[in-house]
Amino acid sequence: MQRGHRQLDHTADLALELWGESEVDVLLAGAEGVVAIMTEGGEVEEREHRRVRIEAVDREDRLVQWLNEIVVAAVSEGFLFGSAEIALDGATGLSATIRGEPRAGERVVAELKSATYHELELGEVGGMWRARVVIDV
Amino acid sequence: MSIELERIDEYRYRIARRGGMRVPGLIYASRAMARDIAADKSLQQVVNVAHLPGIIAHSIAMPDIHWGYGFPIGGVAAFDPDEGVLSPGGVGYDINCGVRLLSSSLERRELHGQVAKLATALHRAIPSGVGSQSHRKLTAGELKRVLTRGARWAVSAGFGAELDIELAEENGCIDGADPAEVSERAVERGKPQLGSLGSGNHFCELGYVAEIYDQEAAAAFGLALDRVTVLLHSGSRGLGYQVCDDSLRSMLRAADRYGISLPDRQLAAAPLHSDEARRYFAAMACAINFAFANRQMMTHFVREAVDEFFGASCDLALVYDVCHNIAKWETHVVDGAARRVCVHRKGATRAFGPGHPDVPERYRGIGQPVLVPGDMGRYSYVLCGTERAMQETFGSSCHGAGRRMSRAQARKSARGRPIFQELAEKGIHVRSDSAGTVAEEIPEAYKDVADVIEVMHGAGVARKVAKLVPLAVVKG
Repeated sequence: MQRGHRQLDHTADLALELWGESEVDVLLAGAEGVVAIMTEGGEVEEREHRRVRIEAVDREDRLVQWLNEIVVAAVSEGFLFGSAEIALDGATGLSATIRGEPRAGERVVAELKSATYHELELGEVGGMWRARVVIDV
Repeated sequence: MSIELERIDEYRYRIARRGGMRVPGLIYASRAMARDIAADKSLQQVVNVAHLPGIIAHSIAMPDIHWGYGFPIGGVAAFDPDEGVLSPGGVGYDINCGVRLLSSSLERRELHGQVAKLATALHRAIPSGVGSQSHRKLTAGELKRVLTRGARWAVSAGFGAELDIELAEENGCIDGADPAEVSERAVERGKPQLGSLGSGNHFCELGYVAEIYDQEAAAAFGLALDRVTVLLHSGSRGLGYQVCDDSLRSMLRAADRYGISLPDRQLAAAPLHSDEARRYFAAMACAINFAFANRQMMTHFVREAVDEFFGASCDLALVYDVCHNIAKWETHVVDGAARRVCVHRKGATRAFGPGHPDVPERYRGIGQPVLVPGDMGRYSYVLCGTERAMQETFGSSCHGAGRRMSRAQARKSARGRPIFQELAEKGIHVRSDSAGTVAEEIPEAYKDVADVIEVMHGAGVARKVAKLVPLAVVKG
């Protein structure tokens, strides 16, 4: 797999480093990273799907909004992200079909408040897309 | 780029203006703390805040400063109503996260070895942990009233007494709330959670008064040696997080539109007179009121749980309720004239001095109670606000110990250790649904709050009144 995530230390919060071959890969890696933190790992049973549309200010904002969709779905509704088909529209639009595990609130063991814009980085370097996002916990 | 700290005196440092900074930085710290503070990026955040338009006097940092996002945690900044801005990043996600203190007529010896049972009872009484939900289902109409009336709604619904209103910052309800500015998603996140602790560093702590430093102030606050106390730390739950998140987007657009240059996008801000700022303030005020009602409801649950053991005679009276993530309009003397300014406190507590009309009448001769939790293994402090705070910090003080370990480091340090047992052996009974949270919150993950307090006391910004030591802690 050409995408991934890594948790970085941050005194009060936590940060995620994301990478992939495309911007979509980075978005997927971010969603996987967020779910891994919230659930401390484990398989997600993809029994339901839902559609998400985002109209963002720019690419960075799109990443923040996307991650917050995943966080809120898990924390508020107990819907755990498993996989997604993502279509980007220019630098600001996104529509996705997310498959995941519903009614899994009890698997959420870490409450994330929100992905933040603090020291947010997203870009392509040498053919690889990379991002860094600080998450308020 | 390194940031130079100029030592002013034993407790104060200054960052001189340079580049786009509109005001200097003012940092309260001891020499040892100053070295630690320089190790992370929090000083850069003090500098970043100093760039915001309309900032008055200083970009201020309290001794518990640490690296946050946007503003540093422990940051205070006041803004001019005409030139200044409102920034959700200066308030934080957990809008009106705050602390309230209850004191009882019970003495520690009267607990008669029932602390462990009390800890369990409090854990049952207060919904806590990730996604914790309220005992009470709210109707849409009730939630609207919560958002506009705050703790007043909770008291009117039977969760507390009239006196609780008198003894809370803003009397438990801030003006300017407009539920129409709160998104549907924020309502969805918050509605099931009113009257719940949440997770992370939120807690309910039963303790006792272990030391008194100022007899007159302690007596005025109803605190006596060995008396049993309860500290509650929580905020606006998912509703506040979502209000912050919703607003940042419109603030980013606004910053662009109004030509506000942002050294950090998390500082996204809009002019105080703009529609964006007005709308954020209206939504933030709703979250502030939600948090006041939340702490008020949990106060009621605590009283019910303790009454089960000791009857209503133990009289758990509210000492005070303080906010430490907030932006508010306040009147302060600037350059010799009283001015209405918008004060942002992110991880900082209001600390109004004696004689201020916003301090409850019964405390007015003393100054406002300032509640500063430490960690669950050591102690917390009660301070009171001073005139010096009014002159230097827009009536603000510190809010806690500040973390010294990241959550991951704390988990690593706790791995393989019986943390619950370690604390129980010290006489502190911890209850939590999450061993992971307790591991992240181990006492050594925090700085010693006594060091923070010494700086505030030594600088004359707040005066030490009493030290509280924990006996039972419910962690989220």
